[in-house]
Amino acid sequence: MTAKRLQLTETICSQKLHMIVGNYGSGKTEVAVNLALALARAGRRVSIADLDVVNPYFRCREARVLMEEAGVRVVVPSGAQSFSELPIVLPEIRALLRPAPDEVSLFDVGGDPVGAKLLSSLVEPLGDTPYQLWQVINSRRPFTDTVEGCLRMRDGIEEASRLKVTGFIANSHLVTETTLEVIQEGIRMGREVSRRSGLPLVFYTAMQEFADSPQLAGEEVPLFVMRRIMLPPWIRRTDAQPQPAGRAVPLGRRTGA
Amino acid sequence: MSKILMKGNEAVGEAAIRAGCLHFFGYPITPQSEVPEYLARRLPEVGGVFVQAESEVAASNMIYGAAGVGVRVLTTSSSPGISLMAEALSYIAACELPVVLVNMMRAGPGLGGILPAQGDYLQATKGTAHGDFHLIVLAPSSVQEAVNLVMRAFELAENYRNPVMVIGDGMIGQMMEPVEFPEPAVGKPLDPGDWALTGCKDRPRRIVNSLYLDPEACNRHNFKLTAKWQRITEAEQRSESVYLDEPCDILLTSFGMTYRICKTAADELRAEGIKVGLFRPITLAPFPYQACRAAADRAGRILDVEMNMGQMLEDVKLAVQGTKSIDFLGTAGGVVPSPEDVAKKIREVLGSAPAKNASPKPAPQKKRKDKERA
Repeated sequence: MTAKRLQLTETICSQKLHMIVGNYGSGKTEVAVNLALALARAGRRVSIADLDVVNPYFRCREARVLMEEAGVRVVVPSGAQSFSELPIVLPEIRALLRPAPDEVSLFDVGGDPVGAKLLSSLVEPLGDTPYQLWQVINSRRPFTDTVEGCLRMRDGIEEASRLKVTGFIANSHLVTETTLEVIQEGIRMGREVSRRSGLPLVFYTAMQEFADSPQLAGEEVPLFVMRRIMLPPWIRRTDAQPQPAGRAVPLGRRTGA
Repeated sequence: MSKILMKGNEAVGEAAIRAGCLHFFGYPITPQSEVPEYLARRLPEVGGVFVQAESEVAASNMIYGAAGVGVRVLTTSSSPGISLMAEALSYIAACELPVVLVNMMRAGPGLGGILPAQGDYLQATKGTAHGDFHLIVLAPSSVQEAVNLVMRAFELAENYRNPVMVIGDGMIGQMMEPVEFPEPAVGKPLDPGDWALTGCKDRPRRIVNSLYLDPEACNRHNFKLTAKWQRITEAEQRSESVYLDEPCDILLTSFGMTYRICKTAADELRAEGIKVGLFRPITLAPFPYQACRAAADRAGRILDVEMNMGQMLEDVKLAVQGTKSIDFLGTAGGVVPSPEDVAKKIREVLGSAPAKNASPKPAPQKKRKDKERA
């Protein structure tokens, strides 16, 4: 028996607009990029916008080539601007607020309330369009290692973005040193955050090597199985899953015009 | 305690607190702004002082003052900001004050860019500012090592009453790795000794000043500082040598994050039967010349890899003394060499083709002998 898997089409495609927020280091970008690739593999038209104005490195634009080759439309500043830390919001972003009927939009938002602040500029153009604003939580990060810390982070993000968080994603990890215990600890914290906030724990994540752990089999919350995409230049992908052609563009290399 | 996931910059801030440093003066600059951001949040929780100065010039003079009154103090910046601190660092070294500073290097020269680089090696190790003085310079190659070296930096600064710089490229500031903090959580208070300005009631006055108008006194002070640097050089060199139990075809020399890239390349080539050794200084100053020479003696030739145009290369050459041929692979501007780039260069200088079969091929005749040779 294996863990219950996230049903992409039911959970993700019932809403067309998804914004991923959280504190930096929670793993927002890894989650957003993996969701985009999974949706593309499932045959959906999917766009991802890199709205990270907080991190200067390790942003989803570094996986641009890989995502584009998988059929994902990637909206990032082009050329030299993509290497700046300027708060650039492209005009295309507004179009993504209203995805076509067969399309899904993902926004990879910068970390912390300061990163989520950018969303407040989209509140008016957003109007009544339904959206999901999911907060990624990692119990191994300072300031969100407790339920209270996660809820404080949510309050800060909501105040800065003028939008409401609609659910949580448990993404506890220690990059290459993640253990099953760390994942389970994250699910427990996520459930408690969900109970205290009245908002759903939409799914939890685990890398491929944990996907078939019997210890996760009884879990009610669905699992979204991920691959490591956002790797520093010296770490190789070791997972056995078939990979899309191409690879993440190394830091500092042009990602195309 | 269990491991947590931290960005290098946050870990630097936490390490300083764990070392008992409760005073920070600095100014934000990418890619190290998370250090002041983290400390602005954390220091008030532990009764510390955080001041965002009006510039790096001001911040560096604030640490001068804070160290002068005998408190443990930290500043952090990135390349252009460190240049602005140069004058005060010379004063601090002249006054023999213990301060710790961190440079998360970015691309230069000039305003450059925000991506990682290692172009401040010479500035940190040789030419920080005017006058005869040296910084002790420590170069971590992981977030955990950054934690350990920041904590060690305070000990060194206080043992020798000398400024210590922990130097990383922007990548180590920005990357996330699991870390744990050694216990005890908080270091001993700084010993104000016979120099700190703690109030002169019931004792003779002390002065912290670097003005020596009397040439003989200034001459003596220079000899004193030089003798201290000699002691540091004898006692504090640290380095890491890997895969040198047996002689190797080629030795990769690198420091900081570039070492991680070289390690990946070395592991992959070793799996193919090419014997690649690794040497990295942990103390860039004092540079471990003897250890570097000993590593070089085990190798057929040397490839120095840096994210600059060949700065540590000068120290490697001094260590090797012309006994081995040295090639260089460098990048700048925020371009990070990949393990493939390093492996390709190794094959090029060894004249071996990518291993489809195990037997090494003779050197391909290339017309670019002079290019990129060190």
